[in-house]
Amino acid sequence: MRRRTTTTLVLAALLATAGCGGSGTPAPATSAAPAAGGTDPNATVNVRLVLEPTSLDLTKVAGAALDQILLDNIYEGLVRRTDDGKVAPGLAGLPEVSGDGLTYTFTLHKATFHDGSPVTAADVEDSFEKVIADDSANPAKATFASVKDVEAEGDSTVVVHLSKRDTTFLYALTGRAGVVFKKGATGLDDSENGTGPFRLHDWQRGSTITFVRHDAYWGAEKAKVAKIVFRYIPDENAALNALRAGEIDVFTGTDADQLAAIEDDPAFTVTSGTSNTIFVLGFNNERLKDASVRHALRQAVDKDGLLATLGGEQLYARTGSHVAPTDPWAEDLTSIDPYDKEAAKKVLNGRSLELTVPNIYPASISDYLAAQYREAGVDLKVNTVEFAVWLDKVYTKGEYDLSLVAHVEPLTILKYAQPGYYWRYDGEDVQTWTREAITARSEAERDGLLKKVARKISEDAAVDWLGIARSTTVARRGFTGFPKNDTAARLNLSGLTAAAG
Amino acid sequence: MALFLLRRLTLLAVALSGTSLLVFLLLRLLPGDVAAIIGGVEATPEQLATLRARLGTDRPLPAQYASWAGGVLAGDFGHSMLNGVSVTDELGRKLVVTLPLTLAASVLAVLLAVPLGCYAALRHRSRDGAAVSAVGQLGIAVPSFWLGIMLAALFAVELRLLPAQGFPVDGWAEPAAAARSLILPVATLALAQSAVLLRFVRSATLEVLHADYMRTARAKGRTLASALLRHGLRNAAPPVISVLGVQIASLVVGAVVIEQTFTLPGVGKMLLADVGNRDLVKVQGTVLLLSGFVLVLGAAVDVVHRLVDPRLRAAT
Repeated sequence: MRRRTTTTLVLAALLATAGCGGSGTPAPATSAAPAAGGTDPNATVNVRLVLEPTSLDLTKVAGAALDQILLDNIYEGLVRRTDDGKVAPGLAGLPEVSGDGLTYTFTLHKATFHDGSPVTAADVEDSFEKVIADDSANPAKATFASVKDVEAEGDSTVVVHLSKRDTTFLYALTGRAGVVFKKGATGLDDSENGTGPFRLHDWQRGSTITFVRHDAYWGAEKAKVAKIVFRYIPDENAALNALRAGEIDVFTGTDADQLAAIEDDPAFTVTSGTSNTIFVLGFNNERLKDASVRHALRQAVDKDGLLATLGGEQLYARTGSHVAPTDPWAEDLTSIDPYDKEAAKKVLNGRSLELTVPNIYPASISDYLAAQYREAGVDLKVNTVEFAVWLDKVYTKGEYDLSLVAHVEPLTILKYAQPGYYWRYDGEDVQTWTREAITARSEAERDGLLKKVARKISEDAAVDWLGIARSTTVARRGFTGFPKNDTAARLNLSGLTAAAG
Repeated sequence: MALFLLRRLTLLAVALSGTSLLVFLLLRLLPGDVAAIIGGVEATPEQLATLRARLGTDRPLPAQYASWAGGVLAGDFGHSMLNGVSVTDELGRKLVVTLPLTLAASVLAVLLAVPLGCYAALRHRSRDGAAVSAVGQLGIAVPSFWLGIMLAALFAVELRLLPAQGFPVDGWAEPAAAARSLILPVATLALAQSAVLLRFVRSATLEVLHADYMRTARAKGRTLASALLRHGLRNAAPPVISVLGVQIASLVVGAVVIEQTFTLPGVGKMLLADVGNRDLVKVQGTVLLLSGFVLVLGAAVDVVHRLVDPRLRAAT
């Protein structure tokens, strides 16, 4: 899951390093602080990103790179996600939900598309029906699995019927499946008619994407800068040069070397937020059926040592299961399968295993793993491949022993209930609890069940979790209001300001 | 002549079809599936099947090749499988970056390598000549991306004279900015290339230095330098030109690295990304256009040779 994929997984490699999250549009809930000396509404802001989208069509092409810039900025849904992960009103207010949890009724705000036409219930109905259609190729179709039908009532009321309760439905609405397109919109590959605070100005493939402020934005708060240029600079050294040469104002995807280079420079401020980017050392449970082997594979790796080599606490944190610190069901599970070289060696000595890893991650991670496994008596062959190959061989076909990718999407924990998912983990309890969590009657009930899931997958050593990335952003002094959290997944720039002068 | 033309055109047609088939098949050997890239990790197997059917990648290879080749014959080199952009349009947009980059780098490389190579040859027994050779060797050993990063660190970060990366958003509509953004990439590429070229110039010059006609020229009273300029260079030129030809072809490869290092939206960077995305139709269209251009150019040169050189005409 890295790169060009999107959604749940990851693609993110790059992302892994990048990251923060989006916040809301109408009323930015981010860390935006007004600049003291007045702001410059005519400013152009240059933002360094890593992974360029392959298309701008959210309905057709997967990729975290699309969500990252298009959601919140260009396109909006009925509800949105704040920087701290809460669901908030968007094109509509928060819905009225029927007692059985199967009917959601939304009332639209008076919003307009970029061409000036009003957003109507018919547009919502059309957008959602396309997602759930039988021949839908929407990459986020699965997130609308519980949607039975969508009805427009008049111009401003939308009723969604679910086939079963779904505690993830509102969350899904904040993602790409929930985006409202104008009925009959075409040419989305490289143009847009969204509703967000920015409009697409230009896409110079291979280099930059430029957004300009939509002055007729329907929401109360217009964007605070005139233009944003996303500069896609995959090379880390080139990116650091660009930052220091003054060509970049906001820098995501910061690595340890870059941080060290600018840390003492008063021209920059560093913010650190949370992310959902978790580096997963995937086990093929079909090949590694023996749980004691999987436990030993976890115990053989000193994660503290690994994270220290990657830049330490400023960039990464430990996690003992597939949970982010912001998940309501998070608890510290790092004591399960603690580092124990000797215990691991007793089980693993003499084995040969192959690790398949996409070439977008720093080689230092797989080098470190190979060294750790060598100490535990394992001959680890590292097979570095293109992301496309990983997707085909590991993700689709399950032909691997160990795999390393960064999963960026929240709620990836639900995947552990799918025995067909590439880990091939088949845990009956996990499947039952996950099913119950999705159809739970309250958030508290759901969170309790997911807490059990998180603990169980760790106790079963379904996979191993090497660490969770922090979302570290470097901004030139004078640029504030940038989202802090999970910027690899979405980057809401509606609150971004540039100081005057 | 008509017969020659016919033969040459037939040969060209065979070469082009061979190229198209080769490119098509080689790309199909790559593991990976564009449908999986487009659908992403959330896509169900049914969705992927739908995508493959839409893209036509579920058809047998001969059928895929036939429909692509049919399009090419009709002048349609295909469209991106990911975003529908036309191969010819996109290549045109990329060449306006890559052509100036590689051409300027080649010219600069020749301007650097020829005088330095001659100098190193003339002074090959002295310290400064050896120093030039040594610097040339170093230039070959240094990876060009490293050189590029270092030049950017100096001229963009420290001196703030030139941009560290990128190309103006409006491209050549801002001619000064566009030209400025190409200076460091051109310099990097030219330095790397001139290091190779310098060695050939030096050894070719060394060879001519001992030729009979040089001795004769010296005997007639010319200085070594003027004899070299007058008689030596034109005899040393053919092997250097051959090498230069190969070098220009390899510039495209060099451009991949340089465009990546300087984030230039050129052909090399595009091809790299397209292969990574398994956008096979776009890659094969682009490669066919580029190689077709070289093949057509070669054929044209042959024909022109015949027109201007009666000996070749008689030989038919």
